[in-house]
Amino acid sequence: MKTITPILEIDVPEPQSDEIYSKQILGKQIRFKGLKKLLGAADISKAGDRNTDLAPKNDMIRETARMILSSLTLQYIYDHPLTDDNNLVDTVVRIGYDVDHTVFNSISFMTLGDLKDHLLRSDGQEIKRIGRGMIPVIAAALSKLMDAHELIFIPRKIFTPTKARTLIGVPGSLSFRIQPNHPKDNLDAISLMVYTNLALGMGDCLIGVNPAEGSIDTIISVITHIDKLRRETGVPTQICVLGHVKTQLAALKLGAPVEILFQSFAGTERTLTEEFDVTVSYMDQAYNTMIEKGPLRNVARQFMYLETGQGSEMTYRKHNGIDMTTCEALCYGLCRRYDPFMVNSATGFIGPETHLNDFELMISNLQDNFMGKLLGLPMGVSPSYTLHADTHIEGQQMTTHLATAAGANFFMDVYLGTDRMLAHFVNSGHDDQTLREVHNRIPAPEFLEWAKEKGIFEQSADGCVTRGSEWGNPRLFCKSAAEFQRLRESLPSAPGFDNAGPRPVNKVQRTLLLNQSIGREAVHSRLREDELEGIDFRVLTTMAQCREDHLRRSELGTMLTAESMESLGPENKDIQIVITDGLSAEAIHHNIHDLLTVLEDGLRSQNYSMGQHILVHYGRVKLTEHIGDALHCQLIIMLIGERPGGDALSSRSMSAYLVYRLNDAEVRRQAIEYSGNKGIHYEYTLISNIYMGGLPALEAGSVVAEKAVQIITHKAAGNRLEEMIMQKK
Amino acid sequence: MKLSNRSNRVTMLGLDFGSTTSSAMVATAGVEHSCTTGRMGFGVPQVEYRSKPVFTPFNDDKIDLARLDGYIDQWISESGIRCDTLFSGGVIITGLAAKRINAAALARLIGERIGEAIVATADDPRLESWLAFMGSCSMLSRFHAETPFINIDIGGGTTNPAFGKNGSVLSTGCHFIGARHFQFEPGTYRLISMSPYGKELLNDLGIEKCLGKDLSSQAINAILNFYIDALEAISSGNTDFFSSPTTNRYQQVPFAFESTEAAPVLVFSGGVGELIYLENQGKELPGTTHYGDLGIDLAKRIVQSPLLAAHISDLVPDNQGRATVYGLTLHSTEISGSTIFLPDSDILPRRDLPIVARLPIDADAKQILHALSLVEATPNGACIQVVSGESNAGSPVADMGIPICESLGSVKSFGQHLRDVCMQVNPKQPVVVLVPHNYGLVLGNYASNWRQEPFNLIVIDEIPDRNAHFVTIGRLHNNIVPVSFYGVC
Repeated sequence: MKTITPILEIDVPEPQSDEIYSKQILGKQIRFKGLKKLLGAADISKAGDRNTDLAPKNDMIRETARMILSSLTLQYIYDHPLTDDNNLVDTVVRIGYDVDHTVFNSISFMTLGDLKDHLLRSDGQEIKRIGRGMIPVIAAALSKLMDAHELIFIPRKIFTPTKARTLIGVPGSLSFRIQPNHPKDNLDAISLMVYTNLALGMGDCLIGVNPAEGSIDTIISVITHIDKLRRETGVPTQICVLGHVKTQLAALKLGAPVEILFQSFAGTERTLTEEFDVTVSYMDQAYNTMIEKGPLRNVARQFMYLETGQGSEMTYRKHNGIDMTTCEALCYGLCRRYDPFMVNSATGFIGPETHLNDFELMISNLQDNFMGKLLGLPMGVSPSYTLHADTHIEGQQMTTHLATAAGANFFMDVYLGTDRMLAHFVNSGHDDQTLREVHNRIPAPEFLEWAKEKGIFEQSADGCVTRGSEWGNPRLFCKSAAEFQRLRESLPSAPGFDNAGPRPVNKVQRTLLLNQSIGREAVHSRLREDELEGIDFRVLTTMAQCREDHLRRSELGTMLTAESMESLGPENKDIQIVITDGLSAEAIHHNIHDLLTVLEDGLRSQNYSMGQHILVHYGRVKLTEHIGDALHCQLIIMLIGERPGGDALSSRSMSAYLVYRLNDAEVRRQAIEYSGNKGIHYEYTLISNIYMGGLPALEAGSVVAEKAVQIITHKAAGNRLEEMIMQKK
Repeated sequence: MKLSNRSNRVTMLGLDFGSTTSSAMVATAGVEHSCTTGRMGFGVPQVEYRSKPVFTPFNDDKIDLARLDGYIDQWISESGIRCDTLFSGGVIITGLAAKRINAAALARLIGERIGEAIVATADDPRLESWLAFMGSCSMLSRFHAETPFINIDIGGGTTNPAFGKNGSVLSTGCHFIGARHFQFEPGTYRLISMSPYGKELLNDLGIEKCLGKDLSSQAINAILNFYIDALEAISSGNTDFFSSPTTNRYQQVPFAFESTEAAPVLVFSGGVGELIYLENQGKELPGTTHYGDLGIDLAKRIVQSPLLAAHISDLVPDNQGRATVYGLTLHSTEISGSTIFLPDSDILPRRDLPIVARLPIDADAKQILHALSLVEATPNGACIQVVSGESNAGSPVADMGIPICESLGSVKSFGQHLRDVCMQVNPKQPVVVLVPHNYGLVLGNYASNWRQEPFNLIVIDEIPDRNAHFVTIGRLHNNIVPVSFYGVC
C-alpha cells in the first residue's frame, strides 16, 4: 500500500505575482495577465470558461496563448504555483507537488513544446516515467497544446493496471462499472438492473450505486443488497455505494461491506471542503482506515474510487480564477495521492453551464483521459449528456469511441443509458459491448472466466471472445419466470430486454429516443400566454432574456429585471402565486388549469388575500425571494416545470414551491434556531411530481391549498413545519 | 449525516384455516408509488416467515380452540412479529373449519390474539379461489400477459378454480372435490371417516360404504376417475358435467370462463397442487395415504392426465401449497393513496362496513341522496363505492398503463352534490366514500366545503372496486390505510 506523504512535507515554491505574457501577431499585441489567464485562453472555448471570462475570445487569441505556453519551461510552470483568491497555495495545489523530483529534475529544462514532442516520440514506459515527475498544471498545459489525434495517441500507450478482486486496465481489456441507480433506491429495481447488465457482460470493475438518499441506513441497505447479489451470482467483482465518504465509513464501522471507498473530488480546496465536505486530512484518515479495516484489505492492491468532472468548481464560483481543465488536472493530483483502484471524470453531467455542446463534451473528455493517464491514474471517463444542453446521444457515443481509442480503462453502464435518478444519460451495457467489439477489447480476466461459465461470452481456441448464448438474458439470474416478472414490475419504465447483435432492438431504441425528444422539446418550449386565457396574471421578466441565457446561466433566472422590480411594491397580501416555466413549460401547460382552479377555490374558502398572479418566463426557484421581498406577502407559491429526465410523461411534471417569508422577528429567531442558518429569511416546502403519472393536477391543487393553510397557521414551512405538525399529533 | 427512517415497510400476516391443514405466513413489503401509474402499492414482498402446515385440530366437527391457540402462539413466536405493528392481514376459514360455530369462535380467538389489523372471513369460496390465483400464478400470468391461466387450487374439502389473464382474475368457482372427503388410517386404505360429499359419491358410484375396512382398488379408482373427469370438465369449461342432479351437488359455485383463442394454461395450487409438482419433478412422495387421505393418489392421477398435466413441466407457479395463505397475506388488502380525506386520524379503523351503493362519478344528487339514505339505515355506518367510468382509451397515456383520472368538472360536481345532500340529510353515521383514482382529498374538500361543514366524511382514494359486499378500513399508517374486502360477489 502507498505511504502518504505528510502535507507539510510537500514543498511548493513561493507564489509569484502575475506576469504579463504578450506576443505581437501581425502588428497586434495580444496580452495575458498571469498564468491562470494564459492557461484559460490556451484551451478550446467551453461554456464554463466563457461564463468566468477565462475562455479565449477567438481562435487567434487561443493560438497565441498556446504559442506562449509552449515556450515556457517546466521549471517555470513549477515555480509559479497557482494560488487561491487570497494569493495562497491551497492544499489541493500543494498535493500536486508531491512528485518524483529525480524525474522532474531530468525534464525540468524542457519547454512544454519540447515535452509534447518528446511524449509523441516516446514509448509507454517513458511516458509513465515522466508522468511520475509531473505536477498537474503541466499536464493541464500539455493537454491544451494537443490536438485530437495527440490526445488519443499519447495516452493509449500508457497502461496502469489496478487490482481489487478483478484486475483492470491491462492491455486489450476494457472494463465497465454497472451503475444501477434508482430514484427511490428500490432494491428490486436495482436487482433487475444488475442482472441485466451482468448478462450483457458488464460490471467487471465495479457494481456501484449512487444512492438517491444518502443516509447511513440507505447506504447499508443498498450495499448489503448488492453484496448479496454478488454472492448469489458468483460474479468476481467489487461493490460500492457512492454516498459521502463519511457516511460510507460510518457504514463500514457498522459492519457493512464497504469494499471500495468512493469520494468526489474538486480541484480547489474551497470547493472540496465547503461544497464536498471533505478535507485532505480526512481523506488521508479514510485511506488509512481502508488499509486497516477494508473488507478487501487482504485481496486488493487498491480500494479507492474517486470521481471528478470538469466544471464543479466553476459552478460553485470557487474556482480561484482557474479554468475548468486545469482545475480537473488539480483533482487528478489529489487522486494520485490515494493510489486509487478507479478514477473517472463525469464531464458533461452538470449541463450547458459548463459544456454547451457535443464538441465541448468530446474535447473535455479526451483532455480528462489524457491528463489522468499521464499523471499515472487508472483512468476511466463518463461522458454524459443532458436534455437541457446541446449535447446528444450521438456526441456522447462518439466521445466514448474516441476515449476507448485513447486507452480509457473503463466506462459506466447505466441500464439503457438512462439514469432516471440523476436525470442524465451515459453509456449503456449495449454501448459498452459495442465498444468492446469495435475496438477488440475483452473484460477483466477473472470476470471473463466467470462470464464464459455462465454462457455470457465464448472464447475460441485462438482467444477470440464473442457473445455467448446467454448474452443479454437477465433471466439467467432469476429462479423462475415469476421472479423475473416480479423484478420487472419494479422497473415499469423498462421498454424491453431484446437485443439485435450487441445493440438493443430497434423498438427499444425508438422508445428511448422518442422519450428523450419529448423531454428535450419540453425544455426548449416557451410559455404560451395565449393558451393561459382565463387566468388573470401580470407578466414579469427575469434577467434571462432568452432560452439560451436561461439554460446556460441559471443565476439569471433568479433575478427580475430592474423594470420588473420597479413595477412591484409592497402589497401585503397573504399569498402570491407565481407561475414560471423552469425547465419545462409543457409541465405548466399540462397542469396549470386544473391545479390553479382547485388551489384558488381552497385558498378563497379560507378568505386569504391574494395578489394578482404573476407569470414569469425563464424563472428559477430563488426568484421567489426577490418577489417576496418586493411584495411583502406572507407566502409565495411558485408553480414551476421540473427538469425532464428519460420518461416522456415526466417531462410534464411540475413542482409547487411554497416559500414562507420569515417577516416576524420571533418566527425568524425560531427558524434560525432550528436551521442553524443565521442568514435565513425564507423557508421552503416542496410538493413535486405533479403530473398524470404522479400526483394528478386536481389532487395537487388540494394538497397545495391545505399545505398553504398549514404554513400560514403555523408560521413555518419545510422541515420545521413538519416537525411542528408531528409534535401536535 | 443522518439516520433516516426512510423505510416505509409494512408487515402483513395471513392465516389459513382449512379442513385439513392450517398455516401462517408473514411478509413485509415497501409501500411506495408506482413509477408508472403513481398509485400507491406494495413493492416486491419479502416473505419473512412460513409456518409448517399443521393439521387443523378438531374434536369431531368442533374446532379445538386450545390447541389452535397453541399454534397461534407458536407462529407468533417463530415469526417474531409484534401484533400491534401489523399493517394488515387476513384470516380465511374454509371447509369444515368454516362451520358456523367454528368460524365465530375462531374469529373471536384471532381478534383477541392478533388484534384489529386482521380481517377474518369464513366460507367465502369465490374469495378463496381469487386469493389462490393471486398467490399462485398472478405473477406468472403477468409474465405471459397474452395467455389465459386457470389456477386449480385443490385442498382437503374443495377445489377452487379461477380463470384470469395478465394477473387479473376474471371468474371463479368452487367444487366439493378434495383430498379429504375420504379419510384413511395412514399408510392403508382402511376407511375411517367420510365427509357428506364422500358418502354421496360412494352412493353415486354404487360403492358400498365400508367404514373400518379397506376400500378396494376398484373403488379407489372409481373415486379418482370421477375426480379426474370433474377436474377435466372444470379446466375445459365443460359446465354440462355438473348439470345433472348427481354431479350438481359437487358444485358449490359454478365455474365458467369465456372461450379464448389459446387454450388456458392450467396450474395447480393447494396441498394436492404441491404434490403434483413434486411427483412431476420425480421427487419421492410419501407412501400411500401418508396424510390419511387421497391427496397423493389424486396428485399422481392428475400427472397422468394429458389434459390436466399439459403444462406442469414448463409453467410452475409460485407458492403451490401455500398459495392461498400467500394470496391472503399479500393480496387481501388494497392500499389507499397517500392523499386521502379524513376529518381526523382517530376516525379509523372502521370495520365490517357494508358497501351499500356503487355510483359513477357523474351521479346526480338524487342517486347520491338514495345512497346516503342507505348509509343512514345501517347501524354502524356504511360505504359508497365510486366506480371507474372513464376510460383512458385514446388519451396520450393509453399505452402507459396509467389510469385516467376523472375530470375536475366531474369530481367537483360529485363533491358539491354530496355536500348538498349531506346538508339536507345531516348524516349521523360517518359517510365513507371509496374512489378508484387519486382524487380523494379534492373530492373531500369540495364535499366538506374545505373542511368547514360539520359532518363526518371519509374519502379513501385509489381503491378499485373488488365487487364485494363488505369492507374494512384499517388504521392510518404514514398517510395511507389498508382496505380489505370480503363477501366477494
